Amino acid sequence: MTGSASAEGYGETGGQANGQRPPAVVFEEVSKFYGEVLGVNRVTLNIPPGITSLVGPNGSGKTTLMNLMTGLIHPDHGRILMRGISPRDPEALMRITGYATQYDTAPRWATGFTFITTGLRLFGYGRSEAEERAWKALERLGLTDAANRKVGAYSKGMRQRVRLAQAIAHDPELLVLDEPLNGLDPLVRAETIDLFRAWAAAGKHVILSSHVLQEVDIISDQVVLIANGMIMAEGAIRDVRDEIEEHPSQYFVHCQDASAVAARLFGEDHVTEIRLNEDRMGMLVMTRDRERFARALGLIALDGHRIDGVMPADENVDALYEYLIGGE
Amino acid sequence: MAVYKRGYRRYRGSLTGRWARFMVLPRHAWGRLYQQRLVILLTMLAMVWPVLCAGFIYLTNHAELLQGLEQEFRQFIQVDGRFFSIFMYVQAGFAVFLAALAGPGLLAPDLANNALPLYFSRPLSRWNYALARLMVLVGMLSVVTWVPGLLLFGLQVGLAGGWWFRANWTLGAGMVAGFLLWLLVLSLVAMASSAYVKWRVVAAGISLAFFFILSGVAAMINGVFRVTWGHLLDPAWSVNQVWCALLGVEPPDGPGAWTSALALAVLMLLLAVVIERKLRPVEVVT
Repeated sequence: MTGSASAEGYGETGGQANGQRPPAVVFEEVSKFYGEVLGVNRVTLNIPPGITSLVGPNGSGKTTLMNLMTGLIHPDHGRILMRGISPRDPEALMRITGYATQYDTAPRWATGFTFITTGLRLFGYGRSEAEERAWKALERLGLTDAANRKVGAYSKGMRQRVRLAQAIAHDPELLVLDEPLNGLDPLVRAETIDLFRAWAAAGKHVILSSHVLQEVDIISDQVVLIANGMIMAEGAIRDVRDEIEEHPSQYFVHCQDASAVAARLFGEDHVTEIRLNEDRMGMLVMTRDRERFARALGLIALDGHRIDGVMPADENVDALYEYLIGGE
Repeated sequence: MAVYKRGYRRYRGSLTGRWARFMVLPRHAWGRLYQQRLVILLTMLAMVWPVLCAGFIYLTNHAELLQGLEQEFRQFIQVDGRFFSIFMYVQAGFAVFLAALAGPGLLAPDLANNALPLYFSRPLSRWNYALARLMVLVGMLSVVTWVPGLLLFGLQVGLAGGWWFRANWTLGAGMVAGFLLWLLVLSLVAMASSAYVKWRVVAAGISLAFFFILSGVAAMINGVFRVTWGHLLDPAWSVNQVWCALLGVEPPDGPGAWTSALALAVLMLLLAVVIERKLRPVEVVT
């Protein structure tokens, strides 16, 4: 094994610096079957750097996708490239990948520090480098005080954090995290989300799965909705929402004279439904044309009606989930 | 939020070699194994017989100490193939118990905790992992088998002189090869039982029972059908047959050394298949 040459080679983040397109996670017509059971079917994805959430019901194929990404299983059909590296080249892939499974995998007998150091030694870091990185990772996840305690004595949230710490300790360009926010208290959860954002802001990939849709909404740059092993939608939440034509867009409109505003809006043919709030200070409007709705609201405001605020009601993962998967 | 103020510098230093990375797993496993009192106790007990054998070698090489003993007896106690085969039988027994003690803890916890993805999301292949675990057992059992055996051989060479080495070097080579064969069989049995049974005590029991049950089945087949090929089902018997050939000792009646070696190869292949089937990074639902 060569030393520094390999390390530096793996260290580059790809074409971004050269003005080329940023390296992506690419699935081309990927299918995976477990015997006769479908894992994922004809999945085509092109995930840019940033935070991407895999969303879908239990057994939909999220973990299969993650296992395919990390090369733990190989597709029966199709091709995968993780930032230009095939999962069939695990030596190269694992150098740029940090993976945390949903399982409580850390050995109970090891201390948090030993657990992370051992993982780093397996990556090929020398002892002092591994220890330094382990401390940094533990510090980043707020576990320095518990570093020398056995994992068996950790709380559920701490075990989740130590799993995350081992995934980030080698500074990967690609983080694949299965349910990473489970069991974290609100403060640590917020800090962890910030950590993901910092990671994504550096042009890296953070791919995670979560059942908590509100959380996905807050943290994701893009989502992949999956059901029954098939991709239902992929992209930025708003773009995905735009693609769903059979469900009108919903907006909360806060205004002083809701009845009058509603009367004006009913004159627009793209408005399909309006529900007035009981206090008559606002309404929920459903429209088939977002642009025309915006123009109409502008004209109403110019006519002297006071519009206090407009907020999309269904540009979130909750709504996408309901529209695309809820009926499954 | 403080995390924005920190941030990692990309690593541009050197990496350790493949071998060093591979040895991370055995090193940790040995460290943990030798924290167990029972393992240390059994290892120490296993050293008693080699010490006695060393005394025997010393005696046979000091004719003055044997004066007064009958000529026939003096001719009987020699350091030859028979001596090393007896040494090997005793040490092989200790190795069985040590393997049953240490083996089940190697794979079962990783499988029970779904920890394999954790290993395989490092630059570590399934075969690397399996070999590392095998090495833990082979390394640990070596301490009580071929290592003291080689020391005894060296002691004999030192006391008897170069002529003895030139005349008997095959004994040393045969002993090491014979022990390694036994260690491989033991380790694969322990790993396979550990891969299949996640409860360590049961896995240890299966590791031990494997040899007794197959020995019983072999004896039954031989008795019922009045044949000798039933011995081939008994790995301990087959290994003994190979040892006899390696050490130039009169073998027991039954299939020859090559046939026994073939039977052992088939057994080890089957055990390797069992381990390969279980060492999957993800649960495969079919």
